Amino acid sequence: MKKSYLFLAIALIATLVLGACAQPGTPQEPADEGIVINLWTKEGETDGGLQYVQALADAYTAQNPNVTFVVVNKDVETLREDFQTASLADAPPELLWTVSDHLGPFTAADLIQPVDSLVDLGAYVPSAVDAVKDPSGATWGVPISNGNHLMYLYNKDLQPVPPANTDELIAMGADLIDAGITPLVVNQTEPFFFVPWLGGFETEVFAADGVTPTLDTPEMVAALQFVHDIKFNDGLMPLESDGDVADTMFKEGQAAAIINGDWSLGTYKELFGDSLGVAPIPEVVGGTWPAPYTSGVFFMIPKDLSGPTLDAVVDFMVFATNLENQVEMVEKLTRLPALAAALDDPIITADPILAGSAEQMTYGTPMPTVLEMRCVWDALKPEMQAVFNDTKSATDAAAAAQAAAVACIANQ
Amino acid sequence: MSSTTLQSTKPKRKRSFFRSGKGDSPFKRLVIHILLIIACVGSLYPILRIFAISLRPGDRLLSTDLSLIPPDATFESYRIILLEKPFLTWIWNSLMITVATALLGVVLAASAAYAFSRWKFPGRGAGLIFLMATQMIPASMLMIPLYILAIRLNLVGTYRGLVLAYCVTSIPFSTWILKGYYDTIPIDLEEAARIDGATQLQTFLKIMIPLSTPALAITFLFNFTSAWNEYMLARIILGSKEELMTWPLGLQRLQGQFQTQWGQFSAASIIVTVPVVLLFLYSSKYLLSGLTLGGVKG
Amino acid sequence: MITPQTMLVSLKEVGSTVLYLLAAAALIEVILYLVLVKWLKYKYAFAFMLMAPAIVGLFFLIIYPLLWELRLSFTNMSLRAFRDPDFIGLTNYIKVFTEPVLKQKYFFPLLGQTVVWTVINIFFHVTGGLALAMLLNRNMKGRGIYRTILILPWAIPQVIAVLAWRGEFNYTYGYFNVLLQAIGLQPIQWMTNPTANFAAMCITNIWLGIPFMMVTLLGGLQSINSEYYEAAEMDGASGWQKFKSITYPLLQPVLTPAVLLGTFWTFNNFNVPFFINQNELESSDILVTGLFRAAFQYNRYGFAAAFAFVIFALLLIFTIFYMRYTKTLKGDAQS
Repeated sequence: MKKSYLFLAIALIATLVLGACAQPGTPQEPADEGIVINLWTKEGETDGGLQYVQALADAYTAQNPNVTFVVVNKDVETLREDFQTASLADAPPELLWTVSDHLGPFTAADLIQPVDSLVDLGAYVPSAVDAVKDPSGATWGVPISNGNHLMYLYNKDLQPVPPANTDELIAMGADLIDAGITPLVVNQTEPFFFVPWLGGFETEVFAADGVTPTLDTPEMVAALQFVHDIKFNDGLMPLESDGDVADTMFKEGQAAAIINGDWSLGTYKELFGDSLGVAPIPEVVGGTWPAPYTSGVFFMIPKDLSGPTLDAVVDFMVFATNLENQVEMVEKLTRLPALAAALDDPIITADPILAGSAEQMTYGTPMPTVLEMRCVWDALKPEMQAVFNDTKSATDAAAAAQAAAVACIANQ
Repeated sequence: MSSTTLQSTKPKRKRSFFRSGKGDSPFKRLVIHILLIIACVGSLYPILRIFAISLRPGDRLLSTDLSLIPPDATFESYRIILLEKPFLTWIWNSLMITVATALLGVVLAASAAYAFSRWKFPGRGAGLIFLMATQMIPASMLMIPLYILAIRLNLVGTYRGLVLAYCVTSIPFSTWILKGYYDTIPIDLEEAARIDGATQLQTFLKIMIPLSTPALAITFLFNFTSAWNEYMLARIILGSKEELMTWPLGLQRLQGQFQTQWGQFSAASIIVTVPVVLLFLYSSKYLLSGLTLGGVKG
Repeated sequence: MITPQTMLVSLKEVGSTVLYLLAAAALIEVILYLVLVKWLKYKYAFAFMLMAPAIVGLFFLIIYPLLWELRLSFTNMSLRAFRDPDFIGLTNYIKVFTEPVLKQKYFFPLLGQTVVWTVINIFFHVTGGLALAMLLNRNMKGRGIYRTILILPWAIPQVIAVLAWRGEFNYTYGYFNVLLQAIGLQPIQWMTNPTANFAAMCITNIWLGIPFMMVTLLGGLQSINSEYYEAAEMDGASGWQKFKSITYPLLQPVLTPAVLLGTFWTFNNFNVPFFINQNELESSDILVTGLFRAAFQYNRYGFAAAFAFVIFALLLIFTIFYMRYTKTLKGDAQS
């Protein structure tokens, strides 16, 4: 009896071990030939971005049948977290389609490789390439689209002419309030929507070295005071509004203007048609034009990628950013292209919305992508919100933000 | 009288479950009904609001309109999500996984709980404390090592890892409930069966399991609900494969960074609540007896 | 849409998984059988065979990650020290208590917030659940319907419920402010005012947590022999006396584990504080949301691991004390 049990046990063990070994690696890999590229993209379905990426991938596979793609959408924060974790387990995806400020954490943790030797960066718009350069001059991403910047979007039916400067903003606002319309809505919870004013008051978050925070300057205090005053003294903005509220109020015609980014252009264009106006954020009287952060969307490559897979990836990147595809992207996603040649295409020069977007970009400034920027965002957020809620003075808020940023950077 | 005496006379005493309420005055009964109705409204209202959002055209999450059925109500979001998005695939996947893991979880927990209940083996006390301790672990603590483990064991992008993870995460709580229930079942029947020549396995399967159906049903319900709604582990393990996504992952896709398709999101939310509610209704008669006759003795 | 092919793919995946797991379990059982029964003739062989698959599973899913996290807590892993972190001993544990764990909040204030959060929630869960259970504990019309509707908050996926409630706290469009304005009061800034935000979190979690307590306590009430109540009524006891001497003591075996579980779940509740706190106010954070932020938003991996163990140890100590305390009570009640 004992022997047959033993035999049974050995047989079972053997089968299971053989079965486990015989399984193909991960179920995603096909047989030997053929390259699979896992492409993680931050593009979602809402604005058609994910569909666009998938279409690009399919078009490439049609021309190169031995290269297939697995396109996965992850939202920006998730993409960053998961890429870090996957790299830790030595299994990162082959290609990333993501935002420029990911370069900070990814280069600090040494997870991606520079692209200077892989593609011809001269073909792209310089501001786009600069957005992903580090202080040593290495470029860490291949640009796909340029912009991601905030603009002054207004409803021509409610406000036929946009204000050119902040005095006009307040004056026009008074008339709109009398007519029962909210003059301006904006996402009051994210500091991203506040920083353009810093440029208007002629200050920046970092000193010249690009890593030391300068959040406690008189100009910063002036900027915080300005947004506080137009909200509470002039009543231009509602008491509480996040991105959704601002968006809804603008869409429903309760707000005359919204400060929002180029990602919203597609939806607004569809809704308002010719009534949508695009203008630069009004110039600060006594200062200059507000400077929204420009960044863009970029390809990034994991550090240890090499061999035929790397070649396929590079080839795809060049394909995705060729003239034909860039023009199509402008058409489909209403974003400014990264390829210099595409900027001259009539599709941009003839469209007032895109022209307005391009005009705002000329006043923009590249968003810092260093790791320390994270600390700046985290430090600014509660302080800016405190000013918006009238719970802290502008002076105190600026000082607190500086202290928090310095402490955070020390801990990184 | 101690409570243990009560329990051991259970088979003979006829238990009346409810206070008869015959002595209550009509006024008292009216008050009770009013209070309960108020509670029900509070319970139901947020759900109805989600339903209202799903009926609104154009992805408008926010509106000062408080009506439960918006004037321009439309089933468009339902249509889009059912026909144009792979929502039904997500639901089907979730259903497959959830049923499988709930059943497996019940099997695993029932066996383990029986061991804890009937034997005082070395390590039993520590084991019980360990089971309770697992309920204290913050979930985000385990995410990164689980991901790395899943990659090393080739479990990413497959259901193997997810089913395993769901079964196992349900074990501590289910074992605790089942053990408590087993503790209230007197050992006489099993001893009688052993004397009659049954093996330990037969005793377990033929005597214990049929007696504990209420608790087994409850365990199934809990496992089903947690697996059905689970997002984090699914994200870690399934991440990329399109056709394997469960509905929480799918719903996440409807949320963009700055814009969300609220109409579809709400419609989906209503739809995914239905299976769990049905299961609750179906097992509601077990809910009361199963959950509590266990109590905690151990 | 869905096609038979996709349905088949999932079915095959799940089916093969289940078979694979059953085979693995069978293998474990066979090995154990040979070792424990045939070779060692161990007294508790059957018990261990029953528990074996669960133990193996728990090892992989809980013990291995815990050990990994323990090792991590002794290193300085963060984004700058990502692939090759250094071993720094107990420094992280000291840092948990001496440095801010969030951007500005220190450990003990955060612990205080968590305790307040837990106590408020458990109090309302138990009183609300008990009140509803006592109302339902009678033979009346519509009992089934009431019970069904009152259970709904439990059945809804938590994330969806939380997002729905967050909508209701919206300043302009949320139900609460619309009502307040309708009766002429000032609307409340739920998202930006720290006290209001905390209240919003509590309201949401109370709504979510009452059904579980209600169901548990209802079952407990029903296991109380009605003869006790009849005897007490004959003796002329008032409602409160009946509650104090009969209901409350006899409810203990059910109340204690329910409160304990509820405490863990509330203490470690992530969804409600994280999502209701849309503006990331640090006054609305509790320990586990702080942990999440430290690990994933600020990428202080080593520090976060130490932080997690501190939280775990806290709960463990609490449990030990609570069980000793209630066992003492039970002993007294029975003597």
